[in-house]
Amino acid sequence: MIRLWFDKGTLLLKGEVGTPYGKWDPRVGCYRIKALHYRDVLSYFKESVLPYQDDVPNLTALQTLKDIVKLRQYQEEALGKWRNVGMRGVLVLPTAAGKTFIALKAISLLKTQTLIIVPTLDLIDQWRKRVNDHLGIQAGAVGGGEDNVQMVTVSTYDSAYLQAEVLGNRFMFIVFDEVHHLASPGYMQIAEMYIAPYRMGLTATYERSDQRHVLLPTLVGDMVYIASVEELAGEHLSPYVHEKIYVDLTPEEQSVYDKEMSVFNDYLREKRIVLKSIEDFHKFIMTTGRDRRAREALLARNRAIKVALNSEAKLSLLAKQLEIHRNEKTLVFTLHNDLVYAISRRFLIPALTYQTPKEERREILENFRKGDYRTIVTSQVLDEGVDVPDASVGFILSGTGSTREYVQRLGRLLRKVEGKRAKLVEIVSKETMEVRMSRRRRQKTSEGA
Amino acid sequence: MLPSELLAVRRRRGVIWPRYASMSDGNLEVASSLIRVYQSHLGEKKSVVKEVIDEIEEKGYDYRFVRGLSFLLDRRSRFKCNDQIDAVGLRRKIYHATGKLGLPTRPEQRRQIIETVAFELKIAPETVEEFSYADLETELVLEEFEPLSPRELLEDYNLSLAQTLLFYSTEVTFTSSSRWQKIFYTIKKLGLIYDAFQDGIFWVKVDGPASLFKLTRRYGTSIAKLLPVIVACPEWAVEAKILWKYTNEICDFKIESSKHQALLRKPSVLTVSFDSVVEEDFAVRFQALATGWLLRREPEPVLAGKHVIIPDFSLEKEGMRIYVEIVGFWTIEYLLRKIEKLKQIDVDMLVLVNENLACEKLAKLEKHAKLSFIYFRDKIPLAPIIHYLEQRFKEVKTKQVGFVKELPIVFTEPVVNYEEFAARIGVSAEAVKAALADRTPQGYTVMSNELVRKDVFEQVRKKIEEQISQKGQLWLSEAIRTVEEEGVKDVTSVLKTLGYKVVWHGINSEKAEIVKA
Repeated sequence: MIRLWFDKGTLLLKGEVGTPYGKWDPRVGCYRIKALHYRDVLSYFKESVLPYQDDVPNLTALQTLKDIVKLRQYQEEALGKWRNVGMRGVLVLPTAAGKTFIALKAISLLKTQTLIIVPTLDLIDQWRKRVNDHLGIQAGAVGGGEDNVQMVTVSTYDSAYLQAEVLGNRFMFIVFDEVHHLASPGYMQIAEMYIAPYRMGLTATYERSDQRHVLLPTLVGDMVYIASVEELAGEHLSPYVHEKIYVDLTPEEQSVYDKEMSVFNDYLREKRIVLKSIEDFHKFIMTTGRDRRAREALLARNRAIKVALNSEAKLSLLAKQLEIHRNEKTLVFTLHNDLVYAISRRFLIPALTYQTPKEERREILENFRKGDYRTIVTSQVLDEGVDVPDASVGFILSGTGSTREYVQRLGRLLRKVEGKRAKLVEIVSKETMEVRMSRRRRQKTSEGA
Repeated sequence: MLPSELLAVRRRRGVIWPRYASMSDGNLEVASSLIRVYQSHLGEKKSVVKEVIDEIEEKGYDYRFVRGLSFLLDRRSRFKCNDQIDAVGLRRKIYHATGKLGLPTRPEQRRQIIETVAFELKIAPETVEEFSYADLETELVLEEFEPLSPRELLEDYNLSLAQTLLFYSTEVTFTSSSRWQKIFYTIKKLGLIYDAFQDGIFWVKVDGPASLFKLTRRYGTSIAKLLPVIVACPEWAVEAKILWKYTNEICDFKIESSKHQALLRKPSVLTVSFDSVVEEDFAVRFQALATGWLLRREPEPVLAGKHVIIPDFSLEKEGMRIYVEIVGFWTIEYLLRKIEKLKQIDVDMLVLVNENLACEKLAKLEKHAKLSFIYFRDKIPLAPIIHYLEQRFKEVKTKQVGFVKELPIVFTEPVVNYEEFAARIGVSAEAVKAALADRTPQGYTVMSNELVRKDVFEQVRKKIEEQISQKGQLWLSEAIRTVEEEGVKDVTSVLKTLGYKVVWHGINSEKAEIVKA
């Protein structure tokens, strides 16, 4: 008889038979199979009428779920498409379009051991609360110091990756929140080392600049549904406006900026270095370890960018803008933590960074929801997924050139609240490379979303 | 282990290696000034410490080197939050005040909020400002620092560099002169898979389950954690395949005790540690008895099919080796599995089973020729073990002697060395000697270490007599040369058998003469 069991993120098979999926492992004298192929191997045995013993899954007890999730029409449609393709696939919906509810509905239909994988610890809390509210059970959590597997468990990508050896056979359904992360060289092993036959990927930003999203069909399933911000804005999402305000650097700032940038540019010119792509830039960074002048040039460039991003002129403008919107719930986004804290100290408003203690983070968001706090300044912590329901104004003081980041920040403001009109304002230093970064991030918004 | 952005390497023609810090005066000076920075900044904020370190970096050293050292020193430091005031609670008050009074965009509005909070908490406004972010990493205060010597710091750094490079490894192959038990225990604990082979040296290749499907760095971190265990041995060699991050090229990385030991820190003191009191007690008492059996801890592993077995001890006498395995907590199933494994190897194994620690009632264990069991309760009893050893020794020797006697071999060589011959037929030299003494092959004389053909013997006798009659006397050194020219190694026995003795004229062997006894 064939016996199949789980071994540290892979399947081992003993018996007088090979499969189209396995590979002979001389180290242990068995066939070894990627956990990803669990479903395929079982159907191969069934089709070939081979008797087998399946010792693979190690599942916790099932609990009874409440099913009180009501879906909107487009959410129903997305779920239906996913169910039609064997419950393996990716749904692309804008932030705030209620992806969570589609996943919760899927869990309540499948009624099986489920792992929800999310990018950040904040999202663990958020999903657990949702599971509790809408499915009526306590969700377990893996990551951030917790290690508690329940019928429905929420984990970060990091923990799911690190613990694939022990968690890989404990779930039959996996929800990949912000699934674009999964395509990275490390995280893709989560898809390969877990057996879950049912898989759902959710994202607002399917494409990756490195093109690795082409791997997602193998890892999760095909893209089965896509809706953009434009399709849903107004009816399902808040309408929004985008504004860009240019500020002049102060004369001192401008002179520092010009001086530092010329150090950098002179060096490039002298060495005939052309920086066209990210790869070119990486190569350049590599040389800075050995070449002292290259490093000085790089540091000069970094100082110039810092001046532009953290300009005092910007902060005065921000003060005026905050004055105008003083009664609205407002988010301020920056690239660097230094600036977050400078703004937090200046305006005495809560700061959220990766250094904010978990409890305080929770408390700040809760007070923001209640309206006790009306302004939050943050770096990248809020970029992904965390719900800040009725924030209606956002200021981007500085960011990378990434479209994804822009879409996600916009997404924070779009959750539908009756009568809300969202506004996203970019504050950009004139005559610096920041102008180009701002243009780049807006370039592909509509496709990206 | 360092953050990967601080890893400095060199690459050439498919070979990669870290830029180790040599023990040069310059490097030692950097290390010692960094150590001094930490020592002299106790009670200062982390941001201050980092500023001073930045200054050292600015002096023109590779920033990865300076930051790497500083990273290691951070790990020997304890930074503490100033706990006079609860920063989180203080911020909560400030944010609430801002929520109530409105966001301050003018200085006087801001001052009003700070003063409100200060008043409420009965502290000075300056204190509010100073402590509102006292829990940020840069605001933490250096409270303790565990110093080390500059050389030790550089050694730590080099080991960390090698480990950091191993993050990118897909597999590693290594050998070591000892500590196998600890090494295999670590391999298992880290969830890695090994494949052992022998080409004169015992090598172990290590990767992970999913390595079968494609090259993966997944196990790199675990491999890096294995390195300190290996380099703690006196002699070792490690060869890793590195999948380099920027180029996706496979490179070889080699590191070995003969070349790199002086650069690396020994992770811990190298005393032979015992897994248990029982083992230690047994070793001490056994060695005190002077039985003629040489006791060795953690002998080289034994290959058993796919598995590697590392017995607790080996006992050796006259080329015979018996392995000893002490079984602590056990179940019947465990014991049976163990026996299954042991059966696959062709060596003698004595298994000492602790009955006190038995998890089940002992069932009858199957008899097996090379496996023996001795049960004990609190202390391992020596008498039955020695009895077993001697009996087994006699058995094996008798069997081997019989075997040699039965060999249908006709010797033709001028000289037959017992040890070489014994190795060829797989018995002990003692057994060969015993068998041959009992049944000397025709035309040979038995010496203590070899058989010498009669005509060779006669040739030696003739030459020596000639030399003595020509010169009147013969020095020992000359006699040795003469005997060795005939291919005989066992010079003293031959001379003795021929009826000569050595007469010493002083302590110099040049002045020793041989004469008829």
